[in-house]
Amino acid sequence: MKIPIRNRLLIACSGLILSALPVLAHHSFAAEYESKSLVTVTGVITKVEWTNPHIYFYVDAKDASGNVVNWAVEGYPPNTLKRTGFTRDDLKIGDTVTVTAYKAKDSSSRLAGREVTFPDGSKKFAGPAGGAAPPTDAK
Amino acid sequence: MTTRPLRYFAIAVFSASLGLAATIPRTADGKPNLSGVWQGGGVSLYGDAADGTQRTYAAPVNPPPKREPIPYQAWAEAKSKTFTSADDPTLRCLLAGVPRITSMPMPFEIIQTPKEVVIAYESFHAFRIIPINDKLQHPNDLVPTWMGDSVARWDGDALVVDVTGFNDKTWLSGTGSIHSEGLHVVERFQLNSDDTITYSATVTDPKVLTKAWTTGALLRRPPNTRVEEYECIENNQDVQHMEVKK
Repeated sequence: MKIPIRNRLLIACSGLILSALPVLAHHSFAAEYESKSLVTVTGVITKVEWTNPHIYFYVDAKDASGNVVNWAVEGYPPNTLKRTGFTRDDLKIGDTVTVTAYKAKDSSSRLAGREVTFPDGSKKFAGPAGGAAPPTDAK
Repeated sequence: MTTRPLRYFAIAVFSASLGLAATIPRTADGKPNLSGVWQGGGVSLYGDAADGTQRTYAAPVNPPPKREPIPYQAWAEAKSKTFTSADDPTLRCLLAGVPRITSMPMPFEIIQTPKEVVIAYESFHAFRIIPINDKLQHPNDLVPTWMGDSVARWDGDALVVDVTGFNDKTWLSGTGSIHSEGLHVVERFQLNSDDTITYSATVTDPKVLTKAWTTGALLRRPPNTRVEEYECIENNQDVQHMEVKK
């Protein structure tokens, strides 16, 4: 028996009414991070916390002055990452990764991770896009 | 003897009823079978994979109600604005309450039997054991709780869940969406032919709202997903981060 096509045609909106979801699943992304400008950090993974409510991994990277900064990169919860194909084994201490991320508003060395580029060049998303439109320098 | 138009009408009604039966799964007692893993949104329902590809869907056959602003009484509106996202109960891993729990970007499983419906939520390890009770009768010894007390009945093909007995510590949806212990929520779960559930929740709270407020969501089955552990407090640095911001 056919699905009533007539009903589909009458419906213009896409349906997700509860769309104002907390983007990091647990807390307000916009309140904590600069959601409209991405930074890119390349460095060595020093620690991985595959934990709830968010994963954290830590990356040593040099700043413009040549000083090493240990960035704390926050991501989605472990279950969410696993379901998108980002597993715990993807983050290995000692690997050099490039992370595009949003900086914390409090100027600390915390980041909301977006896209991670692994040593083999593959890329996966660790967290959500922050702004309404995808930043042009995301790649 | 029936006339031809009447006969056609009867055939059409009969066909439509067969069509309805054929397009949604039903339990042995003929009720829509809501059992399974569902989610109200978030992370593009797990299509936001390595290449950033997001899942896309056809327009739903039965969209949920459009959400309107919460109709607060003036004092409540003013009080609502005193809160920030750092005050969010869920930031401290506390139960999200109803209807907010449905909007959390994590899956939940509905387990349906003829006598009760159980909803096991991944978010905050919430659960609801909902007796099916045509009189929607709640226990008479309720004390206020985060998730309230739920009872359900079938209204045609919709499962109607009546929820009361709430504390006043949860938020209805966004920042500062307060309510009182007088909160009363009536939810409807309607299984659709496109394998979605149209969820709506009508919220009344005469001490706080000027009239009823309705919200909703379209629930989908996230692919290859089972409800798993979410021990929110494990490494919850967010309170500290947000309080620094406040």
